[in-house]
Amino acid sequence: MKYEEWSKISRIASKKSLWILHFCTGCGAIEMPPVMTSRFDMERFGMAPMATPRQADVLLITGYLTVKTLKRVIQVYEQMQDPKYVVAFGSCPINGGMYWDSYNTINQLDKYLPVDLYLAGCMPRPEGIINAMMELMEMIEKGEARGWEKYRKNYEKYKKNQEMAFKFGKVEE
Amino acid sequence: MKAKEIIGRGEEVHGRLYVKVEKQEVRELIKTLKENKFQHFVMLSCIDWIDDGEFELIYHLWSYEYREHVMISTRIKREGEEMESLHDLFPQIETYEREIKEMYGVNFIGNERLTPFFLEGWPHMPPMRKDFDSKKFIKDVFESIPPVEDEDEGI
Repeated sequence: MKYEEWSKISRIASKKSLWILHFCTGCGAIEMPPVMTSRFDMERFGMAPMATPRQADVLLITGYLTVKTLKRVIQVYEQMQDPKYVVAFGSCPINGGMYWDSYNTINQLDKYLPVDLYLAGCMPRPEGIINAMMELMEMIEKGEARGWEKYRKNYEKYKKNQEMAFKFGKVEE
Repeated sequence: MKAKEIIGRGEEVHGRLYVKVEKQEVRELIKTLKENKFQHFVMLSCIDWIDDGEFELIYHLWSYEYREHVMISTRIKREGEEMESLHDLFPQIETYEREIKEMYGVNFIGNERLTPFFLEGWPHMPPMRKDFDSKKFIKDVFESIPPVEDEDEGI
């Protein structure tokens, strides 16, 4: 069999066992316990929470990110093994949400990390989270969730953007 | 109010005793209250009165015996005036002073630990000052960062 066919099989297999690392710094963390526990029970879809980044497939960023947190998110993201997916959860990683004019909130996460899926809402309901995860599974099967490849390819550009945010715009060219 | 009996001044505002004093008197007042069962230092807060050119520092104290809240308020000039550190009265004041130094730029004489607290590598003016232009700041810093474009993947 060719490599493409094998990778298709591996994608079908891996979409049904997503291990999620939730980076719970924002209020979105509140919506995660109902999704994990018996009422909504995300494990029936093959998703399970994972404690360490090295064994996780999905990085779920729940809520707003400050510059200080972004540094930790990037450390976590770079520890994860390929293929890895980022889900931006809630309004804040999309455009800053209600904290858009704060001095310390990075407004768009996708300038610093490749985001595969956005999940809008403030907050998204557990049904929304499950729906987004099903969407992500389909994207994985079709091979559309390629954020990790984009990060590798444009590593220099991402690093430059991250550095600009860490220094609050005071970068010497 | 019991607190008014102890220190003999101040006015009652929304069930709390609000005392306006000069900055030299703050230490003596807190000391008196501490000796008279106001044993809980709640917090130290700061308000930027930019039109008056002053910072207002408010020391909040609480008594479990009398169930009363006292606010001791003092004003210092925004530029060029410093406050005396009171962390020898209540050790937690050290942390509040550290925060106010970072967020407003008020210097506290005698506090050895006024190092960066929440903000990492902050190069601008203290962000909670009223003359800090937050919208201009995000425009200059975060909005000026370009999105990463890729010929295959797009933005």
